[in-house]
Amino acid sequence: MKMSHYGTYWVSFFKGVILVLLILALTGCSIGGEKKIKIFSVEKPREKLNYEMPTPLQMEEIKWIIITSANADEVFKRLEDAGIDPVLFGITDKDFQVLARNFAQIRQKLQETNNLLEEYKKYYEDSGNNQ
Amino acid sequence: MFSSIRMVITILLITGIAGAGMYVMKLRADNATLKANQIKLETAVAEQNKVLEQQKADFEAIMESNKKLNVLINTFKKDLEDLDQRFTKKNRDIGKLSIKRTEAMERIINKGGKNAARCIELASGAEHTEEELKATLKSQINPECPALANPNYVHHE
Repeated sequence: MKMSHYGTYWVSFFKGVILVLLILALTGCSIGGEKKIKIFSVEKPREKLNYEMPTPLQMEEIKWIIITSANADEVFKRLEDAGIDPVLFGITDKDFQVLARNFAQIRQKLQETNNLLEEYKKYYEDSGNNQ
Repeated sequence: MFSSIRMVITILLITGIAGAGMYVMKLRADNATLKANQIKLETAVAEQNKVLEQQKADFEAIMESNKKLNVLINTFKKDLEDLDQRFTKKNRDIGKLSIKRTEAMERIINKGGKNAARCIELASGAEHTEEELKATLKSQINPECPALANPNYVHHE
């Protein structure tokens, strides 16, 4: 059967349409290419631990009383007159030296720890070492 | 015959031109890659230099901090030695002294206790008073911790 010129055009047109549809079905509309996922990293510095420095201590005053065998009666009488219980917690002169030394060592340790804290703070916050 | 030769020559010419074009394009692509590599290398070198500089600065900061801490520890040793010396200087016996001069010793010990308490306050971060900062004479200082309490006082042996 001989087809007309017009008919041949139409058949070619339909063939083309079928071919395009077939290609689309096979490629899943991906002819334009998948959009690439961009992975990027943003460096965010670690949050600062903004603790305030410890509040300085406020020491209360202690009154030392030296008691000897000569002044003991007088000291206890003075305490009674002042309305204070006539009792004293005593240490010897040698133990007083030890106490003074212990007190000095505690103070030094406190100073050392505070100093270390300041140095750490300075090192990690001032010089940009935020690890 | 003649037309076949002409066709072969034409094909060869077209192939040659296409090949040359592709070669030029490849060269341009290679050039772009090399330029990108060069930029990356330069960036890497700059970053490495920055890291090295930071490491140098960190090292100096650590050295400085160590030096400061060593000075502090030496001051501590000296303060303890001074404290021992105050109790034992020239065969001093504070027990015997307290029997002889009870009231004077009581005053001295109470003053010392007050000074020591102030040292604790300063060690815990308290601000210096103007008087403490101005102290330059031995009579003006806190003898329990002069290095801490009176930074402007210079001790002379």
